[in-house]
Amino acid sequence: MSKCETIREMLVLHAEEALGPDQRQLVEEHLAGCAACSREAAQIGTVRSWLTDPELFEPEQNLAWQCLPEKLAARAQSLPKTRRSWAGLSLPQWAYVTLAFLPIVVGLIWTLRFQTPAPPAAAPALVATGNEAFLNRMHTAYARGATAQYLSGCHDLLLNLISAEKTCTNDRYDVSLEVTRARQLLQEKRMLEADLRVPDVARAKSLCDELETFLVNLSMSQECETGDAVRGMERFIESKQLLLRIDLMQPGIVD
Amino acid sequence: MAQQGISDEPASSTTEDLMKQVQQGDMYAYQELVRRFQKKAYRVICSYIHNTEDAMEVLQDTFLKVYTARHTWDHRLSFAGWLYRIAINASIDRYRRSDRGRTSSLEDVMETQVHQSMTTRPADDPLGQMHGRERRRLLEEAVRRLPPRQRVVVSLRFFGDMRLEEIASELECPLGTVKSNLHKAIMGLKGMLLERKEALNYE
Repeated sequence: MSKCETIREMLVLHAEEALGPDQRQLVEEHLAGCAACSREAAQIGTVRSWLTDPELFEPEQNLAWQCLPEKLAARAQSLPKTRRSWAGLSLPQWAYVTLAFLPIVVGLIWTLRFQTPAPPAAAPALVATGNEAFLNRMHTAYARGATAQYLSGCHDLLLNLISAEKTCTNDRYDVSLEVTRARQLLQEKRMLEADLRVPDVARAKSLCDELETFLVNLSMSQECETGDAVRGMERFIESKQLLLRIDLMQPGIVD
Repeated sequence: MAQQGISDEPASSTTEDLMKQVQQGDMYAYQELVRRFQKKAYRVICSYIHNTEDAMEVLQDTFLKVYTARHTWDHRLSFAGWLYRIAINASIDRYRRSDRGRTSSLEDVMETQVHQSMTTRPADDPLGQMHGRERRRLLEEAVRRLPPRQRVVVSLRFFGDMRLEEIASELECPLGTVKSNLHKAIMGLKGMLLERKEALNYE
């Protein structure tokens, strides 16, 4: 690599003031004596200054910025307080959640029917602790179910992507279904954020976040992708060992 | 004067302090957050969505989501990063759901501009000859054509005003990756603009 090429690799970061002192000095000394690199630096500076133009992406019509905060606050306060829409869950999710709760409900019934009553003086504290523990168990069970569901969905998607076929013109791979599914999974992931803080599933967070990054890229793909693009995604799945890691993670989440 | 769920909020409060108050249901703090971030978030969204009305809807959805999901925000994390993540995800959802045909492509823009350039020929000087609205429109389309990873970095850096370290933290990737993507993005934008310059008969 020539000196100019080396310097040009650093020009953007030089403009960002993100170089160390030695590299900055190297660049500045070179620019002082190289007209071609100076022109390149000037063009980079121009593009950067345009990007900081406050009118970039400004709407043509005058939007009501003044009223927006108040309007949004009013709308936010009128929103229903429910956190999740159970009606939106599909049958398999219902079944999964029901199965997850079943032991807890059975345990609770058993406790209420057969457990020896506590002494009256200690009753309020025990009831409070019991309720809290019950709610925690419910939340944990739900978080486990939702996380396992998300991981399972990602697993299936990755497998489908790997086996995508060249059914498009120009030898391209049809990944339209995978792109749509990636979008749905991204929505599920957003719903999952709070659940991933539950201690029993927190170790799955890093994997779920990596999968999310992959899904974001996949969701931006064309419906018919080139072989190179599909192979690039396959290489990513392989290099990150995503399928293996999901397989290893899932039993610990479901148990 | 404090009122029902609403308190007077000094403009100097940090974003994170405001968000903590929003978590407690303070709607003045919520309005202040919207005020501080509405334009930045709008520009981030516009780097994904061309249609102004759609972008405005996504902006409102984003802030409503901030409110409904306020308890999921972790105060150890940057509020801006969290907000932009919601905005970008909402933009991607909207983009995928919308009719892509409505989004004008860079080629459409170029065609219009080439037609205009046949009647008015600008003066010398390469990139600097692109002025005002024409330049902004070309740059906006060029930003939307960047590969996803590069676009996220440009969007957060220039429209979201985030530092490179904050972007790395938000994207959970090494700082070097962010720098590399930023370098590629700027060089890509420069290349696309220079192509347009030639197509528009600039010297």
